[in-house]
Amino acid sequence: MNRLISGKSFIVLIVLAVVLIFFYPRVMDSYFLHLTIAIFLAMILASSWDILARTGQVSVGQAGLFGIGAYASALLYQWIHLPPVLGILAGGILAVILAVGIGYLTLRLRGIYFSITTIAFAEALAVIWLMIPDITGGAMGVSTPPLFGGNRILAYYLILAILALVIMTVWLIEKSRLNFAFTAIRQNEDVANVMGINPTRYKVLAFMISAFFTGLAGGFYSHYNTYIIPYEVFGLNVSIACLVMPIFGGLYTILGPVIGTILVKVIEEFLRVTVPYGHQIAYGLILVVVVLFMPDGLIGLWKKRIKPLFLKKSSVG
Amino acid sequence: MVDWASLLQSLANGILIAGLYAAVTLGLTLVLGVMGIVNFAHGELIMLGAYSSFWLFTLLGIDPLLSLALSGVLLFFIGTGIYRFTIRPIMKDPPLNQLLLTLGLSIFFQNLAMILWKTDSRTIITSYSGMSLDLGIIHFGLTRMITFLISVVLTVLLVVFLSKTKPGRAMQAVSENNTASWLIGINVEKTYLLAFGVAAALAGAAGALVSTVMYTFPMVGFKLSLKAFCILVIGGLGNIPGTLFGSLILGITESFVGTYIPEGSGWAEGISFVLLIVILIIKPTGLAGTRRE
Repeated sequence: MNRLISGKSFIVLIVLAVVLIFFYPRVMDSYFLHLTIAIFLAMILASSWDILARTGQVSVGQAGLFGIGAYASALLYQWIHLPPVLGILAGGILAVILAVGIGYLTLRLRGIYFSITTIAFAEALAVIWLMIPDITGGAMGVSTPPLFGGNRILAYYLILAILALVIMTVWLIEKSRLNFAFTAIRQNEDVANVMGINPTRYKVLAFMISAFFTGLAGGFYSHYNTYIIPYEVFGLNVSIACLVMPIFGGLYTILGPVIGTILVKVIEEFLRVTVPYGHQIAYGLILVVVVLFMPDGLIGLWKKRIKPLFLKKSSVG
Repeated sequence: MVDWASLLQSLANGILIAGLYAAVTLGLTLVLGVMGIVNFAHGELIMLGAYSSFWLFTLLGIDPLLSLALSGVLLFFIGTGIYRFTIRPIMKDPPLNQLLLTLGLSIFFQNLAMILWKTDSRTIITSYSGMSLDLGIIHFGLTRMITFLISVVLTVLLVVFLSKTKPGRAMQAVSENNTASWLIGINVEKTYLLAFGVAAALAGAAGALVSTVMYTFPMVGFKLSLKAFCILVIGGLGNIPGTLFGSLILGITESFVGTYIPEGSGWAEGISFVLLIVILIIKPTGLAGTRRE
């Protein structure tokens, strides 16, 4: 049997698609629709971070790509009135171009050096943005026209489409030879090299895919939010969110980043109401707890601890 | 025509700030050298030191230069606690896990500080804050001068500790080869604990210095740790002479950019990132070479 997808999961997918496309946006009130859009946006960031992580590279500077995407579409509208949807696409493409440049320069670096460079890169962009206000709008930020004239349901469909594209990309990567290359590089770069895999090339490819979706998410954010400032879009908070959500859910899986994002966002939304400043403390705590106690995230916890409980029960009964 | 007075002044300012940068980076260097861990939460230990100094001054009126020792002791205990409960279990994990754990601690403490003390920028104004020392063509702020001297003292103390005392020499041995150290009877576990504690104490003292010459706010540690990473990369990872060299390079470059480039003080904030990226691209193991991955 070489079918890519089993009949059962195909039915699940169809049901999920029907619910998300036709049912969900009609039933939900405005607040929940907004929350759902925020969660889908975060899922895109989480899944695209995970694509790069599959090659063993931990980026702590996704905010750089997110910010470039956000500003590309905002500034292109200001300069040449590029329609927002095209602006978002331009944001993704610019992020890819940037990723190719940074990738070839820094992806030779291993592990921790790459991580530190990515932080420096995002922070450097923030400094540049503040220092050339004539072009970037400086610390005051820039306003953008609302997406689809402020129609939230259409915005929901757009983000759902991007999310579907990301998930499909991850799924295709898992089914293709890329998966072997990425995994080999992650597990041992020297061995991968000997096996005839060019680590830098695959790492740059993973970074490009990751950057494209992160840039799209940035572009979407700028028009959805109608206002962006450098501290926010280039900020550490964005980079941290990108990595905590997939790590919490479980790395190198399709579902991990999705589940991780839902839980993190729900926790964050709850804390936002109770703690005015510093609700991101949850991100720090989750990171510490996951590294110490559940190295494979929620998915690992499920597979190792919880699923066996059910299996035991059914085999006895 | 070169304006020598302004050149000398700029150089002197750079050297003074380099002293503070060295104090900020020493603890990071120690933990990296002895334990092989890049501690992303080092900046937050400095931030806690700065706040403890601020509150000791504001609530009890203790001069920051005196409370420096108190901040050091306080942070020593916080540091050993952090090591015992979070770092020790992952000492044998891959480096990326250590990165993620210390990054998690960093985010945790940043936000804890926001919850406890809001995001306001706080300053300490002592009776001698405005005073300056005139040396003919150049002059120094007294506070900056004192922080520089204390940084020098801290560096000397650390070097003496590492070379003359038994636990210090144990740290040196462990940094060379921890298995061999264990074989000759050094308690590696205890050495790690002490190294992390001493590094945190240094961060506490550096934080007290920071509170006198900069604003104290929850993100101050993160900003400083990025500079410290740059210094590590310039100086080669985990050695003290390299750290001093790196601090001088960064301090002086920032000062010159601040003096000679229009709107330079804003651009100077980005110098550390540019240096860091450029050096890593030219020489992926750091400018002065390194023995650790």
